[in-house]
Amino acid sequence: MLEGVRHTGVNEWEVPIGFVPGMRVPGKFFLSESLGKSLEPGAVQQLANVATLPGIIRHSLAMPDIHWGYGFPIGGVAAFSLDEGVISPGGVGFDINCGVRLLTTPLEMKEVSGRRDLIEELFRAVPTGVGGKSALRISPRNLKEMMVKGAGWAVDSGYGVKGDLLRCEDGGYMKQADSQAVSAKAQQRGLPQGGTLGSGNHFLELQVVREIFDPDAARAFGIRSGQVCCMIHCGSRGLGHQVCTDHVKLLETAAKKYHITLPDRQLACAPITSPEGMAYFGAMAASANYAWANRQIITHTTRQVLSKMFRIDCEEMPLVYDVAHNVAKIEEHRVDGKRMNVCVHRKGATRAFGPGSDELPADLVTTGQPVIIPGSMGTSSFVLRGTRTAMEKTFGSTCHGAGRIMSRTQAKKTLSGKQIVANLLKEGIIVRAHSENAIADEAPDVYKSSDEVVNVVHDVGISRLVARLSPIGVIKG
Amino acid sequence: MSFEEISHTADVKIRARALTPDALFTEAFLALMQVVYGADRRGGMSKEITIVSDDTESLLCDFLSEVLFIAEVEGQVFSRAEIRIDGLHLSAVLEGEPFDPVRHSCGTEVKGISYSGLSIQKDANGYMLDILFDV
Repeated sequence: MLEGVRHTGVNEWEVPIGFVPGMRVPGKFFLSESLGKSLEPGAVQQLANVATLPGIIRHSLAMPDIHWGYGFPIGGVAAFSLDEGVISPGGVGFDINCGVRLLTTPLEMKEVSGRRDLIEELFRAVPTGVGGKSALRISPRNLKEMMVKGAGWAVDSGYGVKGDLLRCEDGGYMKQADSQAVSAKAQQRGLPQGGTLGSGNHFLELQVVREIFDPDAARAFGIRSGQVCCMIHCGSRGLGHQVCTDHVKLLETAAKKYHITLPDRQLACAPITSPEGMAYFGAMAASANYAWANRQIITHTTRQVLSKMFRIDCEEMPLVYDVAHNVAKIEEHRVDGKRMNVCVHRKGATRAFGPGSDELPADLVTTGQPVIIPGSMGTSSFVLRGTRTAMEKTFGSTCHGAGRIMSRTQAKKTLSGKQIVANLLKEGIIVRAHSENAIADEAPDVYKSSDEVVNVVHDVGISRLVARLSPIGVIKG
Repeated sequence: MSFEEISHTADVKIRARALTPDALFTEAFLALMQVVYGADRRGGMSKEITIVSDDTESLLCDFLSEVLFIAEVEGQVFSRAEIRIDGLHLSAVLEGEPFDPVRHSCGTEVKGISYSGLSIQKDANGYMLDILFDV
């Protein structure tokens, strides 16, 4: 482990105050010894930088998929006091409400396995990759509704069923959305992209449930062994990217105005209750709502394809859950024995509320929130459930994915997209993308083992394993 | 004058070298276009833009962010730029062509230009910059 970092428990590490100048609280991260071998010094530095921000509560945290990002580390979580704390786009990222959702189907593996026609049909139906434009014509008025009502707008417009909203974090929308705080440029970018997947690590996968660890929770989530499911990973597209770009600039000026010393310009921030902080929060919430609507439209498109090919109803493909993993939210947590509202930033981290949380729908209150953790295109994804330990240790948060260990430059040098497609096909996984580069960039070898990451969060107790799924068809963005 | 992609686990880190600030910014611009759209980019149309910022780092970030915006909303893929920097004022003539899904889909979208890890330095050999693109 890196010099200056202390081992404080099984899979728990502390970055003490003083690791970088100006830290107000210690840093804390969760990592096994073996995952620690690939920990980058830059990621720990970023974790420590976050601890210098005003109003941070208890710890600057990172989950076991921690890696070097910009502003916060990826996997970073921090809660801020509403009175003295700040809000920062560097704690959310450019892809606001990048998130993931899982749908179940009544189909079995033997019905879907090897069906290249199905993968091709999904690839045609869901726009992907650089320059991918939506077939939908979204009017400026509809765009505003998307930003205000999120997934609810999509369902009201015919892209889904009412039950979907109960299965989204926050019901698929943040009520604090302020579309007025979203620039004309951001809106211009959002208009043609509703229902598009994007590129990079975004994907749509058909998966099979291979293993059930917690039968009661799996039953409550509607998951059974051998079932075919669909996982969708994408975010707020150009609209969210532009909101981040616009507000980093505005908040950098604001940070000077409020005399906040920044260790990294990408941590530009302002007091949460300041006009500048509220403007970012409103614009970020509007972008988060756009992302929920986006995933909802893609869900509808996917259901239509499956419905047509297998003669099943959309109602037979319910949503297990939809989680955001790049977002800042006002949530109630226990701090120093008192319940209080705080602003929780999650940058590449997933909300994982435990049993008894008021935020959960009635039928999930005893199990805890479903947590969806994607793997890479050749490795397992997992469903977990939130825990009371997460409420105590991590402001109700857990990991968001496997986490990269190989750079894109290295991936392109050492891996061939064509060879990866051939290897995965031998394992029964059909991969489709616009380019071989996109496949090499996201090959299984570039990620940490997702098994090892989820085992850490399970062992630490900040979420508990429910089911393991493996891919049989992959559409890469 | 040159740019190279250097190893970064999560994102795309670019290192560029040039003899003048104008040429340095041009290298960063070319790197951005190559990451998003690949190497096969041609001319045919042109677009003029001007940017004014508070400092040199912001000038670079604002310029590249504006290029991303124009490329996306106007569906233009740029292959060349003539850039003039005067203090904190930048004017550029960008040359490019309409987005062609057959030739321009081999890259990856850049979500934003990050200040983390951004450095612009001058030494005896000229200018050098490091910049991180979020992908």
